[in-house]
Amino acid sequence: MTKPRLACALIAALIGVACELQAGWIHLKAFVAQQLIVVAWERVRRGEVDARPWPWADAAAVGRLTILTGPPAADSSTLLAPSGTFAPASRQKAWVVLEGSSGRNLAFAPSHDSATVLPGEKGNSVISAHRDTHFRVLETLRVGDRLQVERADGRLALFEVNDVSVVDSRRVRIVLDHDAPRLTLVTCYPFDAIQPGGPLRFVVTADAIAGAGLTPPQRVARRGGVHL
Amino acid sequence: MSVQPRPSLRQRLVNGLALIALLSLGVVWPPLFAQISDPRDAQAGSLFLVSDADAAPVEALRQSTQIRARVTGNVARVHVTQTFENPGDQWVEGLYVFPLSASAAVDELEMLVGERRIRGEIRRKEEARATYEQAKSEGRRASLVTQERPNMFTTSVANIAPRASITIDIAYLDTIPFRDGRYTLNLPLSITPRYTPGATEESTPVATPERVTSAVQTAQIEVELVAGFPLASVTSVNHDVAINVTRNARLISLKRPTAPADRDFELVWKPAVTPDTQASAFAERSGDDTYVLITLMPPQMYAARVYRREVIFIIDTSGSMSGPSIEQAREALQLGVQRLAPGDWFNIIRFSNDASSLFPVSQPAVGGNRTSASGFIGRLTANGGTEMRSALEMAFAMPPAEEALRQIVFITDGSVSNEAELVSLIRKNSGAARLFTVGIGAAPNAWFMREAAAAGRGSYLFVPQIEQVRERMQDLFRKLENPALVDLELHWPDGASPTLAAALPGDVYAGDPLVVAARLGSVPKGMLTLTGRSGGAAWVRQLPITLVGEQAGIAKLWARERIGDLARKKNLGADASEVESQVVDIALAHHLVSDYTSLVAVDVTPIRAAGLENSSQQVPTSAPRGSYWAPSTGFAPTATPAPMLAVAGISALALALGLLLSGGGGRKPALPEERLADKPARALPLRLQR
Repeated sequence: MTKPRLACALIAALIGVACELQAGWIHLKAFVAQQLIVVAWERVRRGEVDARPWPWADAAAVGRLTILTGPPAADSSTLLAPSGTFAPASRQKAWVVLEGSSGRNLAFAPSHDSATVLPGEKGNSVISAHRDTHFRVLETLRVGDRLQVERADGRLALFEVNDVSVVDSRRVRIVLDHDAPRLTLVTCYPFDAIQPGGPLRFVVTADAIAGAGLTPPQRVARRGGVHL
Repeated sequence: MSVQPRPSLRQRLVNGLALIALLSLGVVWPPLFAQISDPRDAQAGSLFLVSDADAAPVEALRQSTQIRARVTGNVARVHVTQTFENPGDQWVEGLYVFPLSASAAVDELEMLVGERRIRGEIRRKEEARATYEQAKSEGRRASLVTQERPNMFTTSVANIAPRASITIDIAYLDTIPFRDGRYTLNLPLSITPRYTPGATEESTPVATPERVTSAVQTAQIEVELVAGFPLASVTSVNHDVAINVTRNARLISLKRPTAPADRDFELVWKPAVTPDTQASAFAERSGDDTYVLITLMPPQMYAARVYRREVIFIIDTSGSMSGPSIEQAREALQLGVQRLAPGDWFNIIRFSNDASSLFPVSQPAVGGNRTSASGFIGRLTANGGTEMRSALEMAFAMPPAEEALRQIVFITDGSVSNEAELVSLIRKNSGAARLFTVGIGAAPNAWFMREAAAAGRGSYLFVPQIEQVRERMQDLFRKLENPALVDLELHWPDGASPTLAAALPGDVYAGDPLVVAARLGSVPKGMLTLTGRSGGAAWVRQLPITLVGEQAGIAKLWARERIGDLARKKNLGADASEVESQVVDIALAHHLVSDYTSLVAVDVTPIRAAGLENSSQQVPTSAPRGSYWAPSTGFAPTATPAPMLAVAGISALALALGLLLSGGGGRKPALPEERLADKPARALPLRLQR
């Protein structure tokens, strides 16, 4: 084998390995950071004052978002288990949501758009996440699926998906005014596109389930959510 | 020899891998192009807002802005390039209302027609309008820049051909003050819609021309910063920027090619070494006159406070403050109350449609009063009109606390159309009180903040984002507690008879620069002397006057200041026609846009045939982010580069493997062919199948 050819092969191999490591790192970071944030969240729930997922973390948690797919119960009154949470569904997926949809936060967790209200308040609350990591699962959401947000103040907000659509982010914006609590989940579309930065967005809109408003506060939390 | 050798196993493997590498690109690529036919069809009812106000967003006239600023020392030369693009089939006249820095001296307009640049000329406002209208009706390209309000301008562009565009280039000169230890270049991009209050006995409401929507206008921004001294930091407050350092300049550009025009661009830089007292006097010859620009940083003295203070906070809770603005205002107010000393008195006035106060009269800053203030602040919400007059009148009418210096801290975004009237009200009624303004939000009315503070002999500051509240309020507290220089006087060398652009301010506060522009007959010989009192003691400073080259811009800055001061005099009741003729003279001599003069550029050749219509369209101006006018949100970038990296990685690895495998042939080129010839066994399986 000639030397230049070997060198080319080595360089190509190095580039290949570097790319794969980088791609893997993105997924690993999304997964591990989310697990650490969940652990910190649980610790805060148990009453710890300054539970950080990692020592230099400075993000605020908005709440825990749970997606429940599968056959919904017959009527909304039986949707709720005695504890006030949803009755278990066939499939569940949960994340702790961070405040502010900055690139840094999105790498760790689904993030709440700071310009929008908190989930469960009157108006539209927007949560975004990456289509390759956390919100890959949105692909499987259907009208009628249920979403639950356990907020930092301990209150629960319950929503039902009533619209799933794909929009061009260059042409439209999400309307934030709404007379009732609304939750909007946003991720990129198509789910298996290679290039990032495309204009299309996959938008799931869920409205508060009638008769199942915010549950009463479990405990008093500090303003602006739990500081992890 | 003529028989083509069959490809070796290795060769075929290599070819196969190459194919896989190519296919892997192809297999995963198509979804990118397999977009649904028209995403707009997928809109569901009221969930989304078409981002353009017009029903057919594709057809509406589009405007894009490019801003290039060059900062040398403390003067900025800024070029604002606006491109009007007509995607429709009709001839269009474009209108666009846009904000500029409150202290901008607009002096240049160029219209780009193909390769030609047509220079705009300064004319009296009505003359410029007539020239423009005539060109418009004759079918010639024309553009007009007029000043609507001190920091709000309108561009009109006539005869934009179907599917064509017209670009105009507006240039202005601005000073960069060194305030509170930092230099700030502010490029406003959005307008908070002005509230027009109901008619009062003294005044009639002034309508404002802006048409604001949540349209996502964008801007490109580039700044070349030649500071002239070592810098400690350069930061952009509201936008992500990339900074390239060259030998003697810094080039600052947006990380993303364009920024949504929904908040001001604010670039802040700090010198590595902050001089204790910085003073300079530069002179420029222009025609027969000499113009002098004096800048002075007052001494930083922290004398023990001997007087008691009565602080009246006024907080704007109108609709334009909704969203992040009211949060910032509340936090600023909480900090202000916390900072009061035990001997101080205070009160809080809130206003929207009406004004109401926390206490009927000011109360001592003690435990119970502080607690009720904190509760009052926590309950403030933003809603309704902006009737500032009633709040200011309430503050001025309040009986003063005994033996205390009254300070009014006015927290607002200043989005009113009667700002000039309010400034006059402050000047006439403030008496011994001092008024400080705190400009809140993504696009405050900077002109109002500065003028109101000047009229109330106080100072101003801006809080663009909630993160800055604490830091910037500290600057305010320093000023509230230490007026640095009082009884200021300026003594010129013998024989000089200067015309100051504006009167010297009564008080100069810690961190605030003193900027004085003057016009003289000849270059003064000798030193300039500034005297005043600081911390109870006499203060003197002597300055040499340095002559700099022509065209440094000092003459223009003097003219801009002078025009601003004449406008102030008019608002205070000076003869309007007298002021107008003075302003026109100065503006025409210095080629400046003003209340009475506009820039107009006209092409010579008509391009639109007589029979064709020319309809008028106003491009909406972006409302500030998070404001009441923009109750919608954009989309975060929600894709990681992981899939692209994975595919690139696979391709690179396949290439490496291919190179390695095919590389074996390089050393023993003859071998594979020999093997082929020797081994007809490849055909064996076929035979067996038969």
